[in-house]
Amino acid sequence: MAVDAPRLPSVAVQAPLDRVRAAAETFGTLAVAGLLLLSFGLTSSVFLEATNLRNILVQITVVGVAAIGETLVLLVGGLDLSVGANVLLGSVVAGDLVQRQGAPLWAGILGGIAASTGIGVLNGVLSAVIGIEPILATLGTFLLAGGLAKIVLHSSWIVVDKPFFADLVRTHVFWQLPLMVIVMFALYALAAVAMRVTPFGRAVYAIGGNPRAARLAGLPAVRVRILAFGLGGAFAGVAGLLQIGQLGIVSSGNATGLEFQAITAALIGGLSVSAGGVGRVERTLLGAWIVGMITNYQTIRGIPPNYQQALLGGILLLAIVADRLFRGRSS
Amino acid sequence: VTEAFRKRYLDAWFLAGMTLVAVLVFRLVEPSWLNSHTLQSIITQNGPLALVAMAMTFSIVSRHIDLSPGSMLALTGVVIGLVYRDTGSLGLGVLAGLALCVTSGLVNGVLVSQLGLNAIMVTLATYIWARGLALGFTNGDPIVVNTRLTSITNHTVGGFTIVAPVVVAAYALGWYVLSRTLFGRYTYAMGGDPVAARRAGIRVGLYTTLIFVSMGVATWLASTIVLGQLASAQPYAAPSLELDAIIAVIIGGTRLAGGEGSVGRTLLGVAFISILNSGLLNLGLTDAYYQVYKGAALLAVLSVQLLLRRLVAEDVRRRQESEQLLAEAAGYA
Repeated sequence: MAVDAPRLPSVAVQAPLDRVRAAAETFGTLAVAGLLLLSFGLTSSVFLEATNLRNILVQITVVGVAAIGETLVLLVGGLDLSVGANVLLGSVVAGDLVQRQGAPLWAGILGGIAASTGIGVLNGVLSAVIGIEPILATLGTFLLAGGLAKIVLHSSWIVVDKPFFADLVRTHVFWQLPLMVIVMFALYALAAVAMRVTPFGRAVYAIGGNPRAARLAGLPAVRVRILAFGLGGAFAGVAGLLQIGQLGIVSSGNATGLEFQAITAALIGGLSVSAGGVGRVERTLLGAWIVGMITNYQTIRGIPPNYQQALLGGILLLAIVADRLFRGRSS
Repeated sequence: VTEAFRKRYLDAWFLAGMTLVAVLVFRLVEPSWLNSHTLQSIITQNGPLALVAMAMTFSIVSRHIDLSPGSMLALTGVVIGLVYRDTGSLGLGVLAGLALCVTSGLVNGVLVSQLGLNAIMVTLATYIWARGLALGFTNGDPIVVNTRLTSITNHTVGGFTIVAPVVVAAYALGWYVLSRTLFGRYTYAMGGDPVAARRAGIRVGLYTTLIFVSMGVATWLASTIVLGQLASAQPYAAPSLELDAIIAVIIGGTRLAGGEGSVGRTLLGVAFISILNSGLLNLGLTDAYYQVYKGAALLAVLSVQLLLRRLVAEDVRRRQESEQLLAEAAGYA
């Protein structure tokens, strides 16, 4: 639906100019993050304290991991509105298995991730095989996944007391960082490397950048799309498990609106919903960090959560406008 | 010609059939659902959806999805309520609401048409900030607005409220504008190929902005109706109105890719969604089963429609190919 001319994928084509531009964009986002860090630190005495910075990292972990999946889907030229419901489904299935069904821990973890991956694969099949526009297909599965999760919950909630989940928050690895934050960093590192070196990663950029050319070049577009959506679901499942660790309880309101937070993080990181094939996974982490800093600073300043949401919308708009002005008009 | 005509509307006929099936199923499962007041209450409850979906037809035909109406409906209601509470004048409140909606549509339209930004991204921001402001202004609590507006909107004639003539008028106007005026032609042209439309001298920026502003006006009208019906401004109102409206437009057969579609198709889509919502809610389902059934029904209908359309397209392609071959053969002979 974009008016834009198709852009060249910035990674698959390793032209020097593209590399410079990609570096400049990363630098731009980094500069914004640094500027915010500095100004927040100067105007608040507690913001730069190590405990607070650690808190921000913990607060962005669930959205951050879900946003990896959203980034893959955006890169391949799709859009996933089912992420929030899918995070909920993953946590509900895992929580139900280990707490109510008495299943072993590994079965709960696998079950949760499998359920979310299933929804992701369904998204891929609906959009890549049947041809339903991703925004509509994932809207349908958003209803499906959210409904299924609530059915499993039995309009109740699950208190999860297995030490594994609590350990995600309690166990500190280094710099007193909880295990779940390390998991997030590890997943980002893994995804960033995989997108650069694996054939799948290159295919995602090629198909997102120019679907027709990719198909003519013989890339298995359908399979790659299904895989990207499926991985998007898998990351949502992992995010669901991390959320159990963070909250210790599974209830139906847990991940409401999380898809829009994930999309916002990706957009601030420089991704686009109009054109796939542009952007970097690691910049989404930067986007999530920027959103986390802003939310945290507003909380320190005592701004009520509802106004925080309003400001977040304004910041998102600014990011989109700045991104366009920075890159110049493409049409 | 009649055959081609029939095939072009195959997906619409299918949806009409599915709507009938839905009515029959709901009637069989819960006989009391279908009575002499069903139609009236469906129209009254889904009037706001119908109005927004009508404007959404213009948005989608011109390739721009607008995610703002749900949150803007809530914010507009809140603004009307606040102005009414502070000044005691409902008229002033309603005017403030209109100003807000038109301004928001104007800003979104200018950002999309002048900066070339993607409409989904721009209106996603509106979706977030407008809901945040609606909740922030009220702390999430409703504002009571019990005025003459409530008695007007809830007054019934033969079971129908004022919503029915408003919806009929809106669709008549929408149908006329989209299919009988230059503006309508331009809407199709911009959606079909924006670059070609610009080269043809169409003032794409102006008309795109106009489409966003008309969505603002539709949202304002819907918000005023909801405010009257509930006798209060609800900051949580219309949680996924924009999504239902998009589904109604697409399921009616208007393409998300732009350049195709009609107001009549949207009306059919709205009818299907409204009956689905009404029937499922009447079954007394929990929110969970309601969501699952609705999601499954939507995906199933969309899938079958796509398959039908692909069959028709294949058929048309084959016929064109054979005609071309015949023409070539005639050229050689």
